[in-house]
Amino acid sequence: MPRWIPDEPGEESALLEALGIASTDALFTDIPKRARIGRMGVGAARDEPDVVGDIDRLLDKNKPLSKFSSFLGGRLGARYSPAAVDSIVSRSEFYTAYTPYQAEASQGMLRTLFEFQSLWVEMTGLDVANASLYDGATAAGEALLFCRRLHEGTRFLVPTSLPWEERSVLENYASGPGLRVEGIPFDDRTGRLDLDFVRAAVAKKDVFGVLADVPNGFGHVDEGVPDLKSILGDVPLVVAADPLSLSVLEAPGNYGADVVIGEGQGFGISPSFGGPLLGLFACRKEHVRSAPGRIVGATVDTEGRRAFALTLVTREQHIRRSRATSNICTNESLMALAFVVYATVVGPRGLAKLQAALAEKARTLASGLGAIEGLQAPRFDAPYLGDFTLELRRGTGEEFLDRLRRRKVLGGHPLKDPRPGGTGGPEQILVGISESTTEKDIQKYVRAARAAVEAVGRSA
Amino acid sequence: MTFRQARWDEPAVWDLAPPRGADRPPEISGIPEKLRRKEAVRWPELSELEVVRHYTRLSQMNFGIDTSPYPLGSCTMKYNPKVSELLARRKGAAEVHPYQPEETVQGSLEILWRLERILARVTGLPEISLQPAAGAHGEYAAMLMVRAYFRDLGEIAERTEVLLPDTAHGTNPASAAMAGFTTREIPSKDGCVDLEELRRAVSKKTACFMLTNPNTAGLFESDILEIAEIVHGSGAMLYYDGANLNAILGITHPGRMGFDVAHLNLHKTFATPHGGGGPGAGVLAANEKLGPYLPVPRVVKKGRRFSLDYDRPHSIGKIKTAYGNFGLDLRAYAFILSHGEEGLRHISRRAVLNSNYVAARLGKHLPRPFRTLVKHEFVLSGAPLKERGLRTLDLAKRLLDEGVHAPTIYFPSLVEESLMVELPETESKRELDGYVAAVERALSDTTENLHAAPRSLSVTRVDEVRAAREPLLSWKDLRATGAKVETP
Repeated sequence: MPRWIPDEPGEESALLEALGIASTDALFTDIPKRARIGRMGVGAARDEPDVVGDIDRLLDKNKPLSKFSSFLGGRLGARYSPAAVDSIVSRSEFYTAYTPYQAEASQGMLRTLFEFQSLWVEMTGLDVANASLYDGATAAGEALLFCRRLHEGTRFLVPTSLPWEERSVLENYASGPGLRVEGIPFDDRTGRLDLDFVRAAVAKKDVFGVLADVPNGFGHVDEGVPDLKSILGDVPLVVAADPLSLSVLEAPGNYGADVVIGEGQGFGISPSFGGPLLGLFACRKEHVRSAPGRIVGATVDTEGRRAFALTLVTREQHIRRSRATSNICTNESLMALAFVVYATVVGPRGLAKLQAALAEKARTLASGLGAIEGLQAPRFDAPYLGDFTLELRRGTGEEFLDRLRRRKVLGGHPLKDPRPGGTGGPEQILVGISESTTEKDIQKYVRAARAAVEAVGRSA
Repeated sequence: MTFRQARWDEPAVWDLAPPRGADRPPEISGIPEKLRRKEAVRWPELSELEVVRHYTRLSQMNFGIDTSPYPLGSCTMKYNPKVSELLARRKGAAEVHPYQPEETVQGSLEILWRLERILARVTGLPEISLQPAAGAHGEYAAMLMVRAYFRDLGEIAERTEVLLPDTAHGTNPASAAMAGFTTREIPSKDGCVDLEELRRAVSKKTACFMLTNPNTAGLFESDILEIAEIVHGSGAMLYYDGANLNAILGITHPGRMGFDVAHLNLHKTFATPHGGGGPGAGVLAANEKLGPYLPVPRVVKKGRRFSLDYDRPHSIGKIKTAYGNFGLDLRAYAFILSHGEEGLRHISRRAVLNSNYVAARLGKHLPRPFRTLVKHEFVLSGAPLKERGLRTLDLAKRLLDEGVHAPTIYFPSLVEESLMVELPETESKRELDGYVAAVERALSDTTENLHAAPRSLSVTRVDEVRAAREPLLSWKDLRATGAKVETP
């Protein structure tokens, strides 16, 4: 048994003695016999060295990203995080704390979250950010419910190109109140949203919100997004923005977004097989009482010193119960800390420089892949930053990626919904660039892709 | 003992190096002018050392389990083993992407699969999903599953109501409402579910009864088998809120008690760190009836190979990107391996022993509203403080001056001026006695001192009313009012 449960000789008997009982059995007489269980079958305890050995053996069965030239991108990246970020996140005053219910004992976390909220406000051009949600997809779900509180209607419009996971999460969030999620078609050449479709849908007066993503599910930047708000009028516009892209792209609040959400994992959070992640949410100040999640506010203490506390709590589940704006309690505060430390270590100029560098490498790769017969890269005639879509004219994406993997290239991930009956359609792969991508990696990808396409051609 | 928290006059990060802004970010070819940012993000340009000092100083103005006992009831603030932190940062854990091909992530999949099999045994419910990001997220997913189940039975038009006791965590009614149900509270009797009230409330309209056992009063619902019978008698489902599982490991489990579906908080019972508010991990466990509705993908083993299975026609689909908070799943797995069968049972025995010991000692000073045999946590009433013109809040703030965290306060709401105390199995008798002594010192202190508390922290009592009345929610708000962070 681990040392984590105190077992000083005589300690437990002293506790029992103080209670006047002989054993802890006397403390469980309120559990009826019929409800008791026997052995669970969990196995015997292991000592720390054995646990480390066992888990290391399991982890050795993984091939981490560093074993490959990786081009996995999209909402979840594999970007480098300066060591200083993990050093701060590893401070146990932060990571072993609970939600800051006692403000006076938790000023460090409260101030950090206030800085995090402020950063997302500056990046998005909106007024208020919350202290985080679970991830980008659930932030979209919360944004949907938020829009419904601001506007009547039953239909929520999203790009047809939205990643299938996000669409599925959104449909779940919509299902409770009986709302519908509908896809906005896109232009086949540019991937741009069909604004006429949006105009016609909004004219029917039943749309309560519209979501657009920048970059979109194809990794491309849709030039039509800034024009959406003039079509929507008082229908709320949600923009799902990649945080790094906001270092160079216009703040969505400046072109009429009412809500800006995002996935924050790229800012100092390791991929860790998909979690924990970080959901970002900002809105306008006049709507803050409809917002989901914890919010930190600035106030003063009894001596007039600046102090911080969780605020506007009457929106929340522990006060409002079934009428709360959201059920969220635990969020991703520690990841919010990583986000703000990352952005501050890299700095605003560093972020923009990084985004520009990724875009440059992405262009090199796309032109290399685009020169291969049988591949179309980039698939869409639209600007892009660090990600783009590759389309195969022959064979399946899985087969193509499998051939690349054997040459130590992770070539991206298929855009198709993997569920039976999921979206069929063309064989498209989302390709992404990271800091670690070198000129050599790019050449390796192009060579491996050419070989894969030729092999598929031979077997066909 | 005198306690003093660090009190840095630390400016906000933007006041360390006021940003000039205005610089236009570099142009990226193809990006049209209307989408180009006009000004760089307004944020300071600091040296790495300045950033590290800033956040290190902030960290020193924060309580954590590593600095102080943290007896928040229903939060199970136990020691977060360091070995779990070490393992979660291994390359093979942290630098693995969820969209890598399955052949390259067999280790991650095997860890998820093994953890699921263990949690099936711990809960007595065979079907597990690790996808939800937190307890409330698990509750919500479970309510969506209940909805899908009754839709398939053709009963959803009728089964519109979720019942819960008046002691339920606030997330329960909020999750049920988000999933489209109306909620109805069942009054408690002596801190437990009143069977007569439950019988009266259950009907063909009932979709589910949500319960935590032991409940938030720290009492085991001894009528649980009758409760299950009543609920199932109407065809409704019984949901287990696993926030309080720390009391019953290896002694009973949701499956044996008759629950159909449960969520567990890995960040409570299984010691993953709570991160100052999150991340959590809200495992879902279900029986054969509700198992088919769990989120996709499910982790499956075929021969010696592990894979992600999306072919679950009844599944509610996805409720989060990827497969859950793997970093926390790994920590919980290390925690469970370290304890083993006997260790898990010992956790609950010691947690309940600690709780009863502290309850007996503090019960000499403050009234205990219900029966005295409690599980992992207990409730006290601070009502007698009112005779001195004091409230539970004052006691809580005064405890902070002792260098210990306060209990959960004003919950459960059926107890006047309540305090909910939970000191889990990792606290030694010395720490328990220290906590009792701190409460005794606080109670015997002068009324004036209690009103003036806290005085040893980085700030004195925070004006939360003002925070809500005049919301200042970001730097942008502070700029608009000309306010600074370090001085008012």
